[in-house]
Amino acid sequence: MTEAKRAIRVPALVDRLSEVRSFVRDAVAEFGGSKRVADDLVQACDEATCNVMLHGYQGGPGDIDIEASMHDQKIEIRILDRGPTFDPTAAPVPARPEGAPPEPTRPGGMGLGIELLRTLTDEVHHSARPDGGNELTLVRSIDGPAEED
Amino acid sequence: MAMTIDVEKLGGNPPVTVIALTGELDASNYEQVIDIVRDAYADGSRGLVLDLEQLTFMASSGLFALHSAVRIMRGETPPDPEEGWGALHEMAQDPDAQASNVRLAAAQEPIARVLDRTGMLRLFPLDDTRAVAVAVIQGA
Repeated sequence: MTEAKRAIRVPALVDRLSEVRSFVRDAVAEFGGSKRVADDLVQACDEATCNVMLHGYQGGPGDIDIEASMHDQKIEIRILDRGPTFDPTAAPVPARPEGAPPEPTRPGGMGLGIELLRTLTDEVHHSARPDGGNELTLVRSIDGPAEED
Repeated sequence: MAMTIDVEKLGGNPPVTVIALTGELDASNYEQVIDIVRDAYADGSRGLVLDLEQLTFMASSGLFALHSAVRIMRGETPPDPEEGWGALHEMAQDPDAQASNVRLAAAQEPIARVLDRTGMLRLFPLDDTRAVAVAVIQGA
């Protein structure tokens, strides 16, 4: 079983988000994913990376590493930073009436972002890195939608 | 890819501003859209069409800009990014919200999907072309 892998590092600045999106789109194409899978992972990675850029380093400088790999027909995007530990998957999602729009706390905040992440991917995992920082992993099957349309 | 913004002010009743977005709308540029909408309202426009035909990506910050545009065109204060989006719920429950003078036109499929899955299509009428959107606002 071969495993494809790509990685980039960008500073935590929102004007570098387009670079992140291009990286994800190219990686998914290289792995043989459909445009739909690419669209969803680009959206998910933008939300997650933007959150780190806006809040992860609490206004200070820092880098973000993004790794894309494929194994067993699953694409995995890992987003790594060195900021204070923050688990977006543990943030409470406010209850809302069925069909009502979610309430983002602010642009790049994870109120909307985390809901989107869960919709766009099959799995979202967070772990604190042993030597400091966060690792957020997005997993998406290469050959199927994350949600039923 | 950066985003370019083209603004066209149309006469008629009510005066309509068409904002055409090309490229990718994200956290680095969503505030430009809000600023242009604010200027358009201050300049007398009472209808707004966002032409999304050439927009290839919209982040949740772009959704925030759309929500701000509705507030501005209603003559209300746009939401403070730090204040939260509580008003969005009120809008969603507002029977007049769909009769908004803010319309979206020609969204590509990925953009329409984002609007749909976040519930925003309940708030923003989506037309096939900018001409249709302008005509609806002006009652033509």
